Amino acid sequence: MNKNVIKFFDKIQNIDRRYIYLVVAFSIIIPLLIPFNSPTYVTKPTEDIYKKIDSFAGDENKAILMSFTHDASTMPELFPMEVSVLRHCFERNIKVFTICWLPAAAPLVDYAINTAKEDFDVQSGVDYCNFGYKPWAIQLPIMLGMGDDIAKAVETDSQGRKVENLEIMKNIKNYDDMNLVIDFAASSSSITWITYARARFGANIAAGVTAVMVADNYPYLQTGQLMGMLRGLKGAAEYEKLVDVFAAYESEDYPNGRPFSNEIIKETRVPITGDTVPYKYKKARIGMNAQSVAHIMMIFFILLGNIGYFITKKKEI
Amino acid sequence: MKRQIPLIIIITLGFMFVAHSFIPHKISVDFFDWFQDWAKAISPFAVSLGIMSLFMVHGTKIKRKVPNWQYSVVTLAGLVFTAFAGFVWGTQSGTPYMWLFENVQMPMSATMFALLAFYIASAAYKAFRARSAEATVLLVAAIIVMLGQVPLGAMISKWIPETSTWILNVPNLAAKRAIMIGVGLGITATSLKILLGIERTYLGGGD
Repeated sequence: MNKNVIKFFDKIQNIDRRYIYLVVAFSIIIPLLIPFNSPTYVTKPTEDIYKKIDSFAGDENKAILMSFTHDASTMPELFPMEVSVLRHCFERNIKVFTICWLPAAAPLVDYAINTAKEDFDVQSGVDYCNFGYKPWAIQLPIMLGMGDDIAKAVETDSQGRKVENLEIMKNIKNYDDMNLVIDFAASSSSITWITYARARFGANIAAGVTAVMVADNYPYLQTGQLMGMLRGLKGAAEYEKLVDVFAAYESEDYPNGRPFSNEIIKETRVPITGDTVPYKYKKARIGMNAQSVAHIMMIFFILLGNIGYFITKKKEI
Repeated sequence: MKRQIPLIIIITLGFMFVAHSFIPHKISVDFFDWFQDWAKAISPFAVSLGIMSLFMVHGTKIKRKVPNWQYSVVTLAGLVFTAFAGFVWGTQSGTPYMWLFENVQMPMSATMFALLAFYIASAAYKAFRARSAEATVLLVAAIIVMLGQVPLGAMISKWIPETSTWILNVPNLAAKRAIMIGVGLGITATSLKILLGIERTYLGGGD
């Protein structure tokens, strides 16, 4: 083999890691600063959550609960999911409740609601309700209590109002009505919902998790104990697209969004480079560009490292 | 007595809650509701205990001027100021509390988590080598799953996302389930040991 090639790989094997950091930084920063259009393929676990939530559209007797079980560190992946789900609910007139179990998650809930509600005429206590921060120590009593009576288990919302007196609680009593719980987490906390809310009361449970936690949650997805899962930034990007294509769609035939269709979602591409979609509703898709480039760079590094390894090994033999 | 009373409480309540899960009788349900109120009343004390402990630990560090004691000042100042901002101006949008969250906590936490990408990239380059058959399988699986996670994978071939899903659904599931069954059996055994008073280390040492 050419001596220069061997020398190059020898050198590159011992490259200063700061060069790798620099390449990774650029491969993330540039796609974030200069967005480009790339396809978003919607997968079944995301589709299932969308369809379930959408089936509650305009139904006064149904609601969903969003449980925030993470802090700000995992916001880049989970926040776009939360905003998309809230946007979906506000677009399609679906009652939505929020709750969190970590003190650090409480401002996140407010931030997500404030971000999503800017474009809608929605009212706290009527269209949505934030139960606020409930200490982890009483998660189990609340989780189980909601199976009998939500108002009794939660008692007050984040503004200190009696939950039972809120208009949103009309026709909403327990998990039979608040029939979908989505747990947004950087852990396997959805298992607690499966164990107590699903096994005992038959509530539908879904999860929105960071990419590293996807593998841990897969067993529950396969058994159907999780009826759907938003998987990392990819799941968030998929949900953003679904809301753009269906829930936020407006035409003479469909003034308040159109029903889900497999054909439409396969054929439709939503451009993210223009101003048609507000930045806050395409954050995950822009992030996916950065993730795509970063993954390619990582694969390139792995392959380069291995080629160098084999060449060096051959030379040693 | 310091060990016996907590032990009696744990054993009695433990068995009562196990029974509650299997006996949906009114007495059992009423007891559970009553206990829920107790649990809610106890939890604020845990928070107070945490704050007291934080002040004691960091207060001592500041008092003794141990190395890096300045960080303890920042920790306590952060705690006091954030709590003060929340109590005085509330926690809604536009308040100092929310400003602190959006401009201090959020970017700092996200930055810490984002550093992982750099370490993983560097570690992958330096250590991810096809040194053996097992390492090669791991390497190939990692590349397929990474490609399957981004649009480029599907653009190259529809088999990439499908193979990625298969890896997650079959070999990953088999391994995860095996681990979960092991953990589940371990939890059951430990719980039984606690309920029967065999496992007592959680009570702490001494009489």
